[in-house]
Amino acid sequence: MSVAGSACAVLLILLVASLYRGWSTASSVLTRLPGDVWVAQAGTRDPFRSMSMLPSGAAGRLEQISGVRLAIPVFARRIAFTQEGRDVDVYFMSLDVPTGPQWPAAVRSSFLPPRGGVAVDQVLAQNAGLHVGDELDVLGRKLRITGIRPGGNPLYQLAFVNGADAPEVLRLGDVTSFYLLSLANGANVAAVARASEAALPGTEASTSAAFAAATARLVNEGFLPVVGALVAIGFLVGGAVIGLTTYTATIEKARDFGVLKALGASDGFLYRIVVQQSLIVGVAGATLGIGAAALAASLIERRVPEFVTELRVGDAAGVFAITLLVSLVAAYLPAHRINHIDPAIVFRA
Amino acid sequence: MTGRTSLLQVDGLTKVFGAGRTEVRAVDGVSFTTGAGEITLVMGPSGSGKTTLLTLIGGLLRPSSGRVVIEGVEITSLPSRELPRVRRESVGFVFQTFNLLESLTTLENVEVALNVAGVKGAEARARATDLLVAAGLETRLAFRARDLSGGEKQRVSIARALANRPALLLADEPTANLDSLHGGEVMDVLRNLVKEDDRAAVVVSHDVRLQRIADRVLRLEDGRLRAVAAA
Repeated sequence: MSVAGSACAVLLILLVASLYRGWSTASSVLTRLPGDVWVAQAGTRDPFRSMSMLPSGAAGRLEQISGVRLAIPVFARRIAFTQEGRDVDVYFMSLDVPTGPQWPAAVRSSFLPPRGGVAVDQVLAQNAGLHVGDELDVLGRKLRITGIRPGGNPLYQLAFVNGADAPEVLRLGDVTSFYLLSLANGANVAAVARASEAALPGTEASTSAAFAAATARLVNEGFLPVVGALVAIGFLVGGAVIGLTTYTATIEKARDFGVLKALGASDGFLYRIVVQQSLIVGVAGATLGIGAAALAASLIERRVPEFVTELRVGDAAGVFAITLLVSLVAAYLPAHRINHIDPAIVFRA
Repeated sequence: MTGRTSLLQVDGLTKVFGAGRTEVRAVDGVSFTTGAGEITLVMGPSGSGKTTLLTLIGGLLRPSSGRVVIEGVEITSLPSRELPRVRRESVGFVFQTFNLLESLTTLENVEVALNVAGVKGAEARARATDLLVAAGLETRLAFRARDLSGGEKQRVSIARALANRPALLLADEPTANLDSLHGGEVMDVLRNLVKEDDRAAVVVSHDVRLQRIADRVLRLEDGRLRAVAAA
């Protein structure tokens, strides 16, 4: 029972932590696009929550900057539509570059679909029951699903369309949302960013990592306090379970402890027994909890696409270590109780 | 005294519980000595103070007055923190209800007593095995304590009491929960283990059968020693 109790606490902690990790890394998709620097309208630091409107046709100007190999116009817009009777709300992006073998296959299938195609993320696919080859009807424009990218998140589902389809699907008119700069090897990123801002007044340039981090920060700020509270509750529950179990066991075994006292066991010897017992419960509970968390995260993610998790070895190791620490703290009360066990108890029938 | 080396000396031992109208003198001015190789049987009716006397001698209870000297050490004047060492090194207990750790095996129950004294691993195992063999339990080493008969449990209890080679063995009603056959076995084991190693034993009991192995019989009534007789 006690092992199960502490395992449940560890399971809760790790599920919350892995959910947090999964969500906070959802924006990392921005770092996997084929570019290094994002140029956005000034004041736009998160592509998913704020608009960016830049003049079209500025790619040539940006490509004049030393170190810029390619300036890719990016069109982006959130579109709500109905798919087979189900309301879906998707963040569409389009990289206006010729698709072809110059791009790695993974980039092509995830971000650069062919004309008339759309690449969606796994969460969207599972939520809307979509498969490769299915047709998506976006405001009257038919798009065939050509790829399903792993990952996604519950906040915004992403879909990429071909650059040639962007005007018709996204209907942004003569506006480009962002420019994504692909840099030459050895280019000075900071210098390129400064030069981009100078070349296109009213813009801000940031690296893909910084752009993704700004998005992740919003998730962190929103969820971290909740996650922290749940993790703290988990540790409290786990510690209480271990402490109560060890305490109860100490009370139940008071006579045995009395026997050991009568045999001449020192307080240190008895404390070690209690601490060992507490640690055994902690280790078993943590091990079981970590295994259960890995299994549960995988199973739930399959059933609930928004449940995007990332169970990190470091998190599991940290929770394991803290559980051991909590076990040690939980042993305090039972160890204290031992002091009050009268060894003469052993003479009572 | 029998003239042998005195291992235990009890002088004017008194234990008073409560105060005023509720005062009870459980043990009242008891004095006697026990030498090496001697078994002293303390008999008396229920409530006469036998068990209290044993807990006082074993350092589990502090006397109101009087002295207990074991192997020349006055344990009644030792600070409380020193008493566990005395119990580890100089005293072994045998209980009426055996008080074995039920979830452990026969061998582990004896090993625990050795572990308490800092003897561990192979040495503890070997010593525990020797003691259990001497107690006639060589076929029961791996049995859980809960699976043993009453007589076997008491023999394990005696082996455990002797694990750390104490000079003094204190036994509380060691045959009370045993039939005559098993009671006889326990008495024989007790006698042999005490006599062979020149230990001293104080046994408190109602059981007159124990007079067979006793060197002396003390009679306790209302906490006072009423009679001393050679068995």
